[in-house]
Amino acid sequence: MTDHDLDTLFAHARAPTPTDSGAAERFLGRHRARQAQQQGSRQRSLRAGWVGTLLASAAVVAGVTVLRPAPELPASAAYGVYQRAWGDGW
Amino acid sequence: MRGLVLGTALVGLLVLSGAADASGADDLLAALKQARTLEARGTVEVTVLFPPRDLPTKTAGALPRVPFRPGLITRNFNISRAGQEAVAGRTTTRFELTPKVGQAARWTLWIDLEWNIPLAYQESFPDGTPARRAVFQQVSAQPARVKVALPALPQGLRPAVLAALPGLRLPAGIQPVGVRSRPNGGLEVSLTDGVNVFALVTAPRGVRAAPGIASRKVGGGFVWLVGNLPQNVLETALAKVGRGDTAGLGTFLKVDASKVQTSPAPQPAPQPASQKETP
Repeated sequence: MTDHDLDTLFAHARAPTPTDSGAAERFLGRHRARQAQQQGSRQRSLRAGWVGTLLASAAVVAGVTVLRPAPELPASAAYGVYQRAWGDGW
Repeated sequence: MRGLVLGTALVGLLVLSGAADASGADDLLAALKQARTLEARGTVEVTVLFPPRDLPTKTAGALPRVPFRPGLITRNFNISRAGQEAVAGRTTTRFELTPKVGQAARWTLWIDLEWNIPLAYQESFPDGTPARRAVFQQVSAQPARVKVALPALPQGLRPAVLAALPGLRLPAGIQPVGVRSRPNGGLEVSLTDGVNVFALVTAPRGVRAAPGIASRKVGGGFVWLVGNLPQNVLETALAKVGRGDTAGLGTFLKVDASKVQTSPAPQPAPQPASQKETP
């Protein structure tokens, strides 16, 4: 290939043709679609993570509430029984 | 010779002292028996310092009832006559009840000399300060006739309680006298040593520590013991209680406390203080 041939080739390469523009549009369209798809997927997995954390927290709270030993009764409960054992009048 | 005389005199004094104590016990038991049919009326000041309450003192028209059990009293208490005192303007004999063993509360009773019924009584802490006291301030001219029925100790209740709560160590002289069910589950067992009252409770929940209360977790529930006893005595009683089955106490449920029927008494029917009673 002569220098003239090379100059001609470079000149064609520097000048964008409608074919090049169409190819670029097709590429960019697919790229944007992929990006949009990946962003939606990330948001869905983020929402799913929050729901899971919330459900786990609720389960922990419920478990602690159910399994925690019942609080002690006040001393008045025992004194009341004692007073009943004495009967009326006191 | 001189030693022999002195020894004889000492023995004589001891014998007389014992006779006096026996006489005191007999006279007190006779008065308690009399109180089942005759009751003074008037104005009574009733003070309860244990268990603590917002208003410890109130006024009543008659003495609150104490479920005296003569058989247990003579078994668990030394009874002594402590002279004469005036209560609401009437002459009374004061009797002291001191536990023979253990650290149960002591009691003092003032018995009307003429009517032979109580006009006052007091439960005391070991240091002598009152825990519970009821004293006539004014007395009507005549006592009223009453009918106080004291149910017998339920046969077999003590072994049933001990079987239901294995490891329970009831303090000396204390007997169960009744069982009733609790609204939210569990049972209440009434106990007595003849004068003092205690409560043994099985419950799904524990109770906060306080004077006169011991609570212990047993299996899935709790056992409480409540009464005017030192804290270590209450805790020792429950210290070795293990998981048992209270189903055996079911046949003792609904044992009623003493029932009282009163009627006007136009004429008093006092009996002499020397009347004897079989405990």
